[in-house]
Amino acid sequence: MTRSRLAELLLRNMTVFIFLAVFLYFGVQAPRFFGVESIANIVKQASFIGVIAVGMTFVLLTAGIDLSVGSNMYLSAMAAGYVLQNPALQNGWGVLVALLAGLSTGIVFGAINAFCIVVLRITPFLVTLATLVAGRGVGTAITESFGIEYPPPYLAFGASGLFGIPMPIVVFAVVVLAAHIVLSRTQFGRQIYAVGRDPEAARKAGIAVDRITFSVYVICGLCAAIGGVTLIALIGRLNQTFGVGKEFDVITAAVLGGTSLFGGAGTAWGAVVGSSLVQMVQSGMIFVGVNIYLQPMVLAAIIFLAILIDSLRNGRLEKLRRRRLRPD
Amino acid sequence: MSGAGLSIRGIGKSFFGVPVLTDVSLEIRPGRVLGLVGQNGAGKSTLMNIVGGNTAPDSGDMLLDDKAYGPANAREAERSGVAFIHQELNLFANLSIAENIFITAMPRGPAGLIDRNRLRRRATDLLREVDLDLSPDTLVEQLSPGERQLVEVSKALQLDARIVIFDEPTTSLTPRETSRLFALIDRLRSGGTAVVYISHILADIETLADDVAVLRDGKLVAAGPRPDFPASRMINLMLGRDIDQLYPPHRSAVRDEVLLEAEGLSLPGVVKGIDLSLRQGEILGLFGLMGSGRTELARLLFGLDRFHSGELVVQGERVTRMTPRRAIAARMAFITENRREEGLMMNVSIAENIALASLRALGNALGLLDKRAITASAATFASALQVRSGPIDTQPARSLSGGNQQKVVIAKWLMSGPSIFLLDEPTRGIDVAAKYEIYSIVKDLVAAGSGVIFISSEIEEVMAMADRILVMRQGEIASAFARERFSKASILRAAFGEKEAAA
Amino acid sequence: MSDTIPAPLLRRPRSSALPALLRRLLLDEYFVLYLTVAYFAVSAFFFPALLDPRNISNQLSNVWPLLAVAIGQTFVIIIAGIDLSLGATMGLASVAGAIVMTSAADKLLLGNSPVWGWLLSEQGGILADQPVAVAVGIAVILVTGGLVGLVNGVFIARFRLPPFMMTLVTLMLFSSAAIWITQSQNIVNLPDGFNRLGSGDLVSVYFGEKVTPEIKRRDILPFVTYPMLISLALAIAAHLLLSRTVFGRQVYAVGNNPKAAEISGVPVRRTIIMVFVIAGFCAAVAAILYSARLQGGRPTIGGGSALLDIIGATVIGGTSLAGGKGKIPWTFVGVLFFVLLSNTLNYMRLSAFHIDVVKGAIILAAALLDVLRVRLAAGDGR
Repeated sequence: MTRSRLAELLLRNMTVFIFLAVFLYFGVQAPRFFGVESIANIVKQASFIGVIAVGMTFVLLTAGIDLSVGSNMYLSAMAAGYVLQNPALQNGWGVLVALLAGLSTGIVFGAINAFCIVVLRITPFLVTLATLVAGRGVGTAITESFGIEYPPPYLAFGASGLFGIPMPIVVFAVVVLAAHIVLSRTQFGRQIYAVGRDPEAARKAGIAVDRITFSVYVICGLCAAIGGVTLIALIGRLNQTFGVGKEFDVITAAVLGGTSLFGGAGTAWGAVVGSSLVQMVQSGMIFVGVNIYLQPMVLAAIIFLAILIDSLRNGRLEKLRRRRLRPD
Repeated sequence: MSGAGLSIRGIGKSFFGVPVLTDVSLEIRPGRVLGLVGQNGAGKSTLMNIVGGNTAPDSGDMLLDDKAYGPANAREAERSGVAFIHQELNLFANLSIAENIFITAMPRGPAGLIDRNRLRRRATDLLREVDLDLSPDTLVEQLSPGERQLVEVSKALQLDARIVIFDEPTTSLTPRETSRLFALIDRLRSGGTAVVYISHILADIETLADDVAVLRDGKLVAAGPRPDFPASRMINLMLGRDIDQLYPPHRSAVRDEVLLEAEGLSLPGVVKGIDLSLRQGEILGLFGLMGSGRTELARLLFGLDRFHSGELVVQGERVTRMTPRRAIAARMAFITENRREEGLMMNVSIAENIALASLRALGNALGLLDKRAITASAATFASALQVRSGPIDTQPARSLSGGNQQKVVIAKWLMSGPSIFLLDEPTRGIDVAAKYEIYSIVKDLVAAGSGVIFISSEIEEVMAMADRILVMRQGEIASAFARERFSKASILRAAFGEKEAAA
Repeated sequence: MSDTIPAPLLRRPRSSALPALLRRLLLDEYFVLYLTVAYFAVSAFFFPALLDPRNISNQLSNVWPLLAVAIGQTFVIIIAGIDLSLGATMGLASVAGAIVMTSAADKLLLGNSPVWGWLLSEQGGILADQPVAVAVGIAVILVTGGLVGLVNGVFIARFRLPPFMMTLVTLMLFSSAAIWITQSQNIVNLPDGFNRLGSGDLVSVYFGEKVTPEIKRRDILPFVTYPMLISLALAIAAHLLLSRTVFGRQVYAVGNNPKAAEISGVPVRRTIIMVFVIAGFCAAVAAILYSARLQGGRPTIGGGSALLDIIGATVIGGTSLAGGKGKIPWTFVGVLFFVLLSNTLNYMRLSAFHIDVVKGAIILAAALLDVLRVRLAAGDGR
């Protein structure tokens, strides 16, 4: 029993161990890595992935998946960018309008996914794979693959902060806090966990399963848009590859954070840990000077590790469930 | 008398073009318990699923307290005061007891957030009402089947429902839990709630019900006050004919050769120290409560799970690591308790289902198959077992009745030519007539020299069929009974443990 | 309450609402074949150039490699899986084979490659200019494909990783590996014997006037080609394997109900692994055809919209994403449809981006058709 306890402890806290190991490794390789500036930078970079990973957590909790977040980021940033091309809107109000336009785009994008999944009943990975490709197609067709420049007021928004905390981190904190409250303190949130565990039982228990499934994809779409419009405010120029492949980072972050691909388990906090880890590895590889061709392979290996751990954890839980005998 | 309660008027429903309910009219009155009986497939569950909002009727309507009632889903039904406690529980193991009870009606505080204190308090009150001494924060995954059943009941209490439907609620309960449940139903009744109680256990109906309604083949054949329905009449109405015997006569066919022997078989947390032996021509009954480890033992014997220690000797050969393929090669067959999930390929033809366990034997040296030969050979097994179906090479398994599906599963195993049969709840969910056919098939098997391990939670069934009964409790064989020592009371006592039976 | 969805939309469409004829048509095994023929007829009316023998010859040459890899996807989808890594497999296999066969490599471009100096040099691969180069090169491609499939299969079967997730990871891993090995370059200078596999033809037709005694090579239009023979042979073998063998039945059984299959003695894990190996092998065959036609090993041959084409062609053919149902002839029809679709989209002068949008929509439509069929076949369901 103690051995299996230990194994479970390891599985449960694997991310923390990996986190420490990776941190120490890069630190030893490049001592500058331990610097306050470097760490602050990692947290800032992690916040974009993290915000979207929070949205992904909602989807994963229902045992779904959203592969289209990268294209969603692109389209949302593009919508904000087009609004800001209007000279009359190149001011504070314009920034607000642009943000609203970007976020609405993300919500619509998420709603399209949700519609195909909930109403047409098509498998989530296929729907979002199709919208991943089609979404970027729509975007590049509209921009004709030209870049979009963002005016100074928007860049100022990107560089702003609250009490000295950079804007992206503030946004991330707000999103995580809101998600945490929704997931743990509202009926809607608790019902998401129920749906992910057993959708059929949820339906019979009187939970509006379709409505909940629909909502999580919209929430994920919104989070992708938040990530898109904030990240682009830092970069200042939208090019064709903005957001490409981000679905990998986001899913990795969520799963490393303890959210299961099999549904019903996960927290908003997990996204913080997971995204920091992903970003730390990415920044660390640049710090240490890993061959750029090798970097995606390292990331792939980390995703692999994440899903492997998740699967082992899930299989273990299932076994425990099956073994439960009638207690005295 | 009319007016109050639920009036079901002329309800009809078809699945796949087959009528499951025809013109059923029924009154469910407040302050009374209606016992709803009928064979499996008679339409009880479909009828109650319509009342509970899970299924929409094709025709007919319902009145709830004289107002039109037609719930689009379970939630609408609950809002109208109709609670349905399903046989398979709708609980979420990853949530706490309190969250499960209030999953659609969490008490909310000012900001719309869950008021956890109120949630806990109300859950505690409800748990006290069902006499369950647990913290409301306990995760449901830590509960026993019986405790889960009671949580499900407290969920219905929470709704303050005017109509509560129980679908086979006692299958996973200990006697003490059952009496608790009955006391609770009593209280509901005196509080003016209408209760619908579906059960196969006619004794329970006799204890509880004020009224009885009998369904057969989707039609209401009789309804009235309980005293008019002695058990014998209920049975006759359910079957539609007089039946003199439920089981074929017992005749021992036991021979000396041992087919299967287990010694000290253990898997931590599942079973421990299992000793058993099965001889040719023997029916070895395996009885125990849900969760006592019966199915788990069968899975170990068949190699679906690996045992950690102990020995297994099959047909004289020692097996250290069993796998399903080795089991089949050693001429074993496993008819699982769950046809739909583990027995059949629902969308595939009957013939292909029957051939599945014999594929390797059917292929030639190159692994090539002759489809026509397979269909022909499947057909002989299907007709030997009297599977009632259309063309077996095109008709999918899902279109068959439960009894015929079970026969297809048996035919599949017969085709592989086994001599050791593990039957796990072989008659669950099939009607009485088909049950009798299954019993006869089992008798034929042992007469021909096969050995059968017969797992069942219906004690009468095991007692009627078995030559010997092993009783399992908490993963161990609690005791063994030779046929001449069969006694319902002592077998049950062994299954529940002395303490339970004393209570 | 967030009543976001109007209730009527959530009701399942009633099958009885569909006219009987449409219902029969939708359920017909070869619905997509009729659709393809009809679409061809209509498009040919608008774009007569579609019927030009040159175009037909050209389009057919696009059919064969796609068919080869779609066959592999069909196996995987029948067991209710999906393989997103087939395109990446093609890229990696193509590169691996080319490195063995190439007869010269540019140090400027490939000097940083991890294989430079031991497998690859300015004199080409280790078998450069050897007579066995082609045979070994092909073997390396096939083995690479099979190995990638093995990796996918083992982790999916053994650790129960969701197939789409596992193959998403290998898609990323192996496509970046192929790019890393080649430093984003193409490996050219392949032996003629290999290149001939992509262009060699048995039956060719010249449609021009017979006035000049010398006919230019490009005016001769190949119809029966090596790729055609290779792909059709693969298709026939795959079809027989699925429909006539014990293994084939086991594949369907695993797709229909893995639990029942396991209890009935089907080696479920081994079947899953074999299916992914077959898929990798098929992708390798496609890699051979593409690399030979392009006369080079390219890390990106399976990139871009290949991912959508491979899934789309298989699913639109009728192989069900729910598993347990699918046939090679269906996939053949699906491939024809997809190539025809790309062809007409090009005639419509749509940009590559628009084409992606259309293909994405077509895949969703195919999946929707699948869902609809399952529901129609099951009657009204609950």
